[in-house]
Amino acid sequence: MKVELYNHVVRSGLTRRRLLQGAASIGSLAAMGGLGVSRAALAQADVRAAILAIPGVGAGSPTDADWQKVGEMTLAATRANVAEGEFAGVELTFMGLNNQNLHNFLFRGFLKPWEAYTGAKINWIDLAQADYNPRLQQAIATGTVDFDIIEMGAPFEGDTASKGLLDEMPDWVKVQIDMDDYVGYLKAPVGTWDGKTYRISIDGDCHSFAYRKDYLTDAAISAATGMTEAPTTWQQVQAFSNAVKGQKDPLTGLDAYGFLDPLKGWGGFGFYFLEDRASAYAKHPDDPAWLFDPDTMKPRVNNPAWVQAIQDVMDTMPVLPPDQINADPGTTAFQQFLAGTGAMICWWGDVGSSARTSDGSVVGDVVGFSINPGSDRVYNARTAAWETPATPNFAPNMAYLGWGVYVTSRVTADEKKRKAAWSAAAHLGGKDIALWMAAYPSGFQPYRNSQFNYDEWEAAGYDRAFIEDYLGSNLDSYNHPNAAIEPRIPGIFQYYSVAEDELAKGFGGTYKSAQETADAIAAAWEKITDQIGRDSQIALYKASLGM
Amino acid sequence: MSAEGDLLHVVTPDDLSLPRVAFGRAIMWGAAGLLALVALAQTLQVTGRLELGFTTWRPTLYAYILWAVCLCWGQVLMRGEQGKRVLFVLPAALFVISLVVFPLLFGLLIAFSDWNLASPTGRKFNGLDNLRQMWGDPFYWNALTNMVWYSLAIIVEYAIAFGLALLLNAQIRGRKFFRVAFLMPLMLSPVAVSWMVGKSMLEIRFGPLARLARALGWDNPSFFGSAEVARATIMVMDAWTYIPFMMIMILAGLQAIPRELQEAARVDGASPWRGFWEVTFPLMLPVSITAILIRLIFKLKLADIIINVTSGGPGGATDSVTSFIFREYRDRSNVGYGTLLAMVYLVLIVIAMTILMKLAERWTRQR
Repeated sequence: MKVELYNHVVRSGLTRRRLLQGAASIGSLAAMGGLGVSRAALAQADVRAAILAIPGVGAGSPTDADWQKVGEMTLAATRANVAEGEFAGVELTFMGLNNQNLHNFLFRGFLKPWEAYTGAKINWIDLAQADYNPRLQQAIATGTVDFDIIEMGAPFEGDTASKGLLDEMPDWVKVQIDMDDYVGYLKAPVGTWDGKTYRISIDGDCHSFAYRKDYLTDAAISAATGMTEAPTTWQQVQAFSNAVKGQKDPLTGLDAYGFLDPLKGWGGFGFYFLEDRASAYAKHPDDPAWLFDPDTMKPRVNNPAWVQAIQDVMDTMPVLPPDQINADPGTTAFQQFLAGTGAMICWWGDVGSSARTSDGSVVGDVVGFSINPGSDRVYNARTAAWETPATPNFAPNMAYLGWGVYVTSRVTADEKKRKAAWSAAAHLGGKDIALWMAAYPSGFQPYRNSQFNYDEWEAAGYDRAFIEDYLGSNLDSYNHPNAAIEPRIPGIFQYYSVAEDELAKGFGGTYKSAQETADAIAAAWEKITDQIGRDSQIALYKASLGM
Repeated sequence: MSAEGDLLHVVTPDDLSLPRVAFGRAIMWGAAGLLALVALAQTLQVTGRLELGFTTWRPTLYAYILWAVCLCWGQVLMRGEQGKRVLFVLPAALFVISLVVFPLLFGLLIAFSDWNLASPTGRKFNGLDNLRQMWGDPFYWNALTNMVWYSLAIIVEYAIAFGLALLLNAQIRGRKFFRVAFLMPLMLSPVAVSWMVGKSMLEIRFGPLARLARALGWDNPSFFGSAEVARATIMVMDAWTYIPFMMIMILAGLQAIPRELQEAARVDGASPWRGFWEVTFPLMLPVSITAILIRLIFKLKLADIIINVTSGGPGGATDSVTSFIFREYRDRSNVGYGTLLAMVYLVLIVIAMTILMKLAERWTRQR
């Protein structure tokens, strides 16, 4: 769970009585609810309830001792597959992040009991977020991969799996971590290359749509916009944004604004926000590809669908807050939307978790969530024609896909070491430990269907309405049949980064039209494709789409 | 002891026997030959013509160190005391060559390569392609043009710094306090300035400076909205950080000028302005030029504030060469092209600085 969300729950005044109620109800659930349930399932329910009580929601932030306890209590799956002391003498190196003193810090605690049981030893490489990409890219480019296990985002699979740097997941691991429990979009082809599985997911990511409910109930605004329900298509969003101009914000009394587009780049991550609009137009349900043509790698970013998305942003610019040209996604989320400027935004789960937990947020009681807006018409790149489906086309943007744990091919030749590495990774990606990581500060969001069992959350002491609201929109996006999945090809962030530069010129008026801007992006993407190697990119793009 | 030669400076008898000289020559050339051989063997392996089982370039490094030691030792063996004198400089020269010249040569090699870290084929020599790409890259030329504007701003910064230095040099109340207070911005990291000033104080809705601007009648203050205003704001933030640096240098110069000179000028009937323009300013020229040149070097590296506050926007209006190279290199892993841009920038800086120093030298001599 994100730290802010946890802090909120703690601050929201969970009393000891409430905590005891929660523990008691978990106990009774475990004792009574077992009618007709197998002993193993009962034992697992016991474990899940028990780890959720460490240290107890509202009992302060977990410490290393707590992480070790959780690691010890969830070791059953490892015990089933590994004999005690089986990995004595094995040394592994684990490379990961040290963001907010989470990530690797948790992993250390979780894996200490695993080390004690198996006899293996783990050495750690901790990296700051900003150092991660250069460190990984340089290790790959210079052939100096010096880690056996790596915490890595799915977009980097193109840089690693495609170059044979990862070890294929053994079948016993798939069973141990119960991969069928993954939410829809994290199932294959994500985590796989050429049909081989490499990724143990530990996190999920997607953009969802957050909107202000008070903009829909305010009499003056509703009279101007004619809307009392949240818009569900980009056409409605555009109409709303134009109509709300000139009104006053119901919360702050300042000028009212509609949808907030970030117009400034964000180290490549800003491009995800154009994708939010574009995916509804460009991601056809019959076609897995939407950024490039999978046969030629020719960019689709200048086809009518993407040009429409860029045009939408340009059309909205006059009704955006002043100085929006200098607003990056961080600004639109934390300085604008959460601080009471603007009615709608697409963002990661952070907006949901911060809405009620951040001191800077004033919209906690009036914010609602849904999947990203759809579109009345969708562009079919294969026929080069717009289509108007019976119901709007929705294509939620699975931006970044979340963190996973991977094993590198350094261990492939040594069967003992290989098993040890996968056992360690599987321990971190286990089903029960996942519930704990979602419920306490870990830096990770839910990624399994079993993590959306709201009864467990409620029993542990969480406010049900809040949890359902926050997690529900994510769940709907995760399992959407037409989700726009990020292409996991080498250098994907290079494409995003250069697109941001060209978009900035388009929004700044250097280019005359949306089409000219899109053409400039396409030309820059062609250069990158040629530089990295077109044939290999085509092959890898197809592999990443599971084609 | 020899009765001939440089008796004033030579203090030890140099009785260089032929075998000693021959040995010196032998180890020098032997080590050089070994270095050439190892380097050649490793190059052949890298190019795939020979398989010798080297895994790293360390053998060449060790051969280089051996050669450096033999070179120094050989100087003493072959040239006696003259050789010992050479030892005062030679190790340092070799060290500089190792840490500056070699990396520069490798840098040049990379600059003329097509090397995208994401490319599975690795580094490929591509001749002048990167140069051609640079020639047609509007982002780079835009950044260079911006650098001209940023550099010209130094003139204004200098004037302000001189004014402040004169004030602090005068007999004013709380002089020590102001000296420390004016130095504070220099002590701040530009990253902190970016966040505290650029992202917080200049925040357009709640930032105190935006509120002040509104109170003064600017309805919708926007500090980074248009190209010109954004560039000016970046200049102001950078100036605020570094004016104290120029000021402190100029102040030190002012304090070194003997008070008698001004007094003599006053006795001769010079007005305060003439006293400044005809006496103080010319005497301050060498310090001023040093301050401006150092400031220029700082300015040419300008990147942190831009990366943090505007990322080069809006539409590239505030991009500096360094911030552009940072994006090309870090965000796009385009190592070959990024290195070439940096090399070209280095050449431009060297040329510009040389011309400036020559001009400054001529100008100070005339005055």
